[in-house]
Amino acid sequence: MAAVAIHQFAQCITCHAWSPDQSMVAFCPNNHEVHIYKLFGEKWERVHVLQKHDQIVSGIDWSVRSNKIVTVSHDRNSYVWNQEASEWVPTLVILRLNRAALCVQWSPKENKFAVGSGAKTVCICYYEKENNWWVSKLIRKKHNSSVTSVAWHPNNILLATTSTDGKCRVFSTFIKGVDSRESGASSSSNLKFGEQIAQLDLSFTWAFGVRWSPSGNTLAYAGHNSMIYFIEDVGSSPSAQNVALRDLPLRDILFVSEKLVIGVGFDCNPMVFTADETGLWSFVKFLDEKKIAPSSSKYGSQFSEAFGKLYGQSKPAINSDTVESSRPRGGAHENCISCIVPLRKPGDTIVRRFSTSGLDGKVVIWELDNSI
Amino acid sequence: MATVGFLEDENLEAIITRIEHKSRKIESLLKQSKPVEALKTALEGSLLKTKDERCKSANWIVVHRAIMAIKDVDAMFSSLDPEYYDILMKYLYRGLATGDRPTCDQCLKIHEKLTEKAGLGCILRSLADTINTV
Repeated sequence: MAAVAIHQFAQCITCHAWSPDQSMVAFCPNNHEVHIYKLFGEKWERVHVLQKHDQIVSGIDWSVRSNKIVTVSHDRNSYVWNQEASEWVPTLVILRLNRAALCVQWSPKENKFAVGSGAKTVCICYYEKENNWWVSKLIRKKHNSSVTSVAWHPNNILLATTSTDGKCRVFSTFIKGVDSRESGASSSSNLKFGEQIAQLDLSFTWAFGVRWSPSGNTLAYAGHNSMIYFIEDVGSSPSAQNVALRDLPLRDILFVSEKLVIGVGFDCNPMVFTADETGLWSFVKFLDEKKIAPSSSKYGSQFSEAFGKLYGQSKPAINSDTVESSRPRGGAHENCISCIVPLRKPGDTIVRRFSTSGLDGKVVIWELDNSI
Repeated sequence: MATVGFLEDENLEAIITRIEHKSRKIESLLKQSKPVEALKTALEGSLLKTKDERCKSANWIVVHRAIMAIKDVDAMFSSLDPEYYDILMKYLYRGLATGDRPTCDQCLKIHEKLTEKAGLGCILRSLADTINTV
């Protein structure tokens, strides 16, 4: 399996999202706009430009059923865009932040969305029909630093967050009038808004990319120390697994199924992780098969030239022919992959296709075949 | 040697005594020409959570002794368990920070092989972790 399509849209992309029918992609080309491109046959053409933010748009999410786009930006604002005829009409959401918004995600029922910010807070926004506007409720406590990513549990109430203080936390976002108290919900005693269910202190470095498994049983997030953490049974008795990566850290992850996770990050190559029958997670392989240069450098990375110089200093007689000059990596992405989004077909329980976008301005679509 | 648990309220004197005990063990292992065993003993029980500089320095001296005694780096890696890679990398960076020529030469030699074996992730873990320091 590998990349089925590679599109160079811009010089650099911060985040992207797909329309419900996957015919259009919305992304931010590292400025204050959101560009929407549509595929006409073989060519991508820009159909809309959403211009409302004053600074970089750091998060975009496109809801599947209600076809709404939510964007958040470093300008501390968020807009919900509704499609009316051929135009996208923005509605300002007052988040009440005094720092940048960093990430956003629609809840599974699409009646709420969560925004992580540099103000050490998480905003949970819901729609108030009576006043026809989006209200923001803040979770002010607990975080000691910026909230880098948010993830909704399938039950639409629990929210996991990761922060640059190294911790991953799970909160309840129960809102009276929006969420219904379901009988038999295991966390019914913790349904107060903003209540912290769990705090995971596994990483001593910045944490990114938290995601729940499709059933909500497993939680995974990446640490900036080249580790990925898998936690089972967060609510009752959390058991964690630390998987150390050989190479550079991850920025975002995706649960393809209960036992299969794809991680993307600074290696510019998606990494596959699986859990075996006993539930033990491990790294399987890189997705992108790269061309190996005939004179392969010992370190096999873009740092080979730098390493050659570093080690060459201690041995003055070393031949400079052994130093490999830095070359393009030969994979789909040429720079850090910062965002991974699933491309679900309606009715599919596991994800077969997903897309990645990165700092090289490319959006790459990947397809998994049955060998995984 | 049993691995030491991270007891925050443990007596600093007890830690220093334990490091001295380790040091004697390492000297005897080096006399028996077992440099890899000596390195393993030195790395074991390194109290990363202690904030006390004296303990860290004392442990560093012991590890430094073991690192400088290594002559065959490739042979060392064939018998060193991967669980020691991360902690060894942290000590290598401490060695490189000393600026002392023989220490830096030795640490650089080992760093090259360790990076090949453990990958860039090992370096990341030693750089990014500001809480568990050596």
